[in-house]
Amino acid sequence: MNQHILEAKNLSIRFGGLRAVDDVSFKAVRNKITTIIGPNGAGKSTLFNLISGLLRPNSGTVYVDGEKFRNVGPDTMQKAGLARSFQITNLFFELPVAENIRLAAQILEPKSRWAMPIRASVIAAKRVQELLERFDLKSKAEYLVGALSHGEQRRLEIAVALACKPKILLLDEPTQGMSHGDTEDTANLIKSLSEDVTILLIEHDIGLVMKISDYVLVMHQGQKLAEGTPEEVRANAAVQAAYFGHA
Amino acid sequence: MLLVVGLIFAAIGAWTDDTFYLRLATEALIFSGLALAVDILLGYTGLLSLGQAMFFGLGAYVSAVSLIAIPSFWLAFAAALMTGILVGIVGGLIANRVRGVYFALITFGMAQVVAKIIYNTRSLGASDGLIGVPIVKINFGLFIISSDHPVGFFLFVVAYIGLLYLAAAYILDTPFGRLLIAMKANERRIPFLGYHATSARLAAYVLAATIASLSGALYPMLRGFASPELLFFATSGNAVITVITGGVGTLVGAIYGSVILTVIKSYVGSWTEHHLIVIGVLFMIVVIFLPNGIMGVIRPKIVKLLGGKTLQ
Repeated sequence: MNQHILEAKNLSIRFGGLRAVDDVSFKAVRNKITTIIGPNGAGKSTLFNLISGLLRPNSGTVYVDGEKFRNVGPDTMQKAGLARSFQITNLFFELPVAENIRLAAQILEPKSRWAMPIRASVIAAKRVQELLERFDLKSKAEYLVGALSHGEQRRLEIAVALACKPKILLLDEPTQGMSHGDTEDTANLIKSLSEDVTILLIEHDIGLVMKISDYVLVMHQGQKLAEGTPEEVRANAAVQAAYFGHA
Repeated sequence: MLLVVGLIFAAIGAWTDDTFYLRLATEALIFSGLALAVDILLGYTGLLSLGQAMFFGLGAYVSAVSLIAIPSFWLAFAAALMTGILVGIVGGLIANRVRGVYFALITFGMAQVVAKIIYNTRSLGASDGLIGVPIVKINFGLFIISSDHPVGFFLFVVAYIGLLYLAAAYILDTPFGRLLIAMKANERRIPFLGYHATSARLAAYVLAATIASLSGALYPMLRGFASPELLFFATSGNAVITVITGGVGTLVGAIYGSVILTVIKSYVGSWTEHHLIVIGVLFMIVVIFLPNGIMGVIRPKIVKLLGGKTLQ
């Protein structure tokens, strides 16, 4: 088994004259948390969009478990074992909480159950219960997503991404807009998830990043500035100059 | 419940020997199949089709041609089924390239083009329509229903449309159906769940095309002809009004809506030719005061009656 489950090689994309992601390469280690940090506009979310298939790169390739993926859509990347959450909550707001998770989990069912009513989808149903419990949403299972608080919606966003049992989970600012207490809880949750899934995280809360990350990748103006363990990155002079604003 | 209402109708019809209302009810049910198709697209997948009558009309013409050649119900049924699937795939590949208002316009345009072609094809009767469809005997092995027997054919249509309804309701409750509902709620999220959104949309379109075509196939059996008006925008638009009146996204609302509108049209039409004004006013009232249509009013009452709880 390859130690590096995900590899991005020379990914680049231009929007007009802007090099949003410029020749970025990195590898993610299996069942570890790799966090991407950088100032606003550094290209972090664009990098996620390139890896998850939402955007097609101008050049570069993504490898999952050594398999090459190029010029493919999000559905292909999902089948390769990759799932993601979004910075701006992207759920089925008019549908109940449990149904949101079930929709993401129904792909786990064998094809034969696709011709049967969803009552027969027992694997998905079990997965829904597991996740409702783990994400503390059990009492809200039948609420419409639109009726949840912001923090609950952010939690559900992670639960939906996790529902299909991905090998790799991309979390785009999961704690965005959360209260301090909620941020703490979410950080612990993410740490516990990394036991059986490789996590790629975009996060602004530096304290949180240093606490839960195994590896950190620093981006600046579309380029990779530095990478390494949290300690290595913290000690890097270039990072301090560009990111923390002092040398 | 629909079946019970249908049986009462049939009993009254048979008793009073008044076949006019039975024929009218049969026609309402046939058009409710078209409304059912519109509801699958509008109420579940979130696609407004303004040209669904194309499939209804094609089903009617294919059925009429087939019946004139060989008066076999099952052959006409198979022909309409194939037409729905094949034309649905072609039409879906064209219409699904765009979304929203453009989808509505393309479906409208396709229907108008096909309608005009039929309107100008002499071998299909051109503007007069295709006449001379023979009475068909539907052979079920154990018994035979003749299309000119008002009660028998009415009951047959009740069962036929009922089966289409049950099939649609079943499909919408499978993982595929739930995917369509999710697509209506937030299509951009679908690919990240591992599905090709365009393929799912195409499948929904083909399903709706097939249901419309299979419903249209009954029309020439009832009336003995197929006319180009069946494909015109008036028919498509009427189906959309039917669904909105009955309740979008309820399936059964399409059937109630069709029966109600047909009855109104017939009653009002008997003392004024301007019955469309009445339908227009009714439509506006429903849109403003009953956003969930007639089913939006009835369903909570039924659920309460049965002791269930409603979703917030």
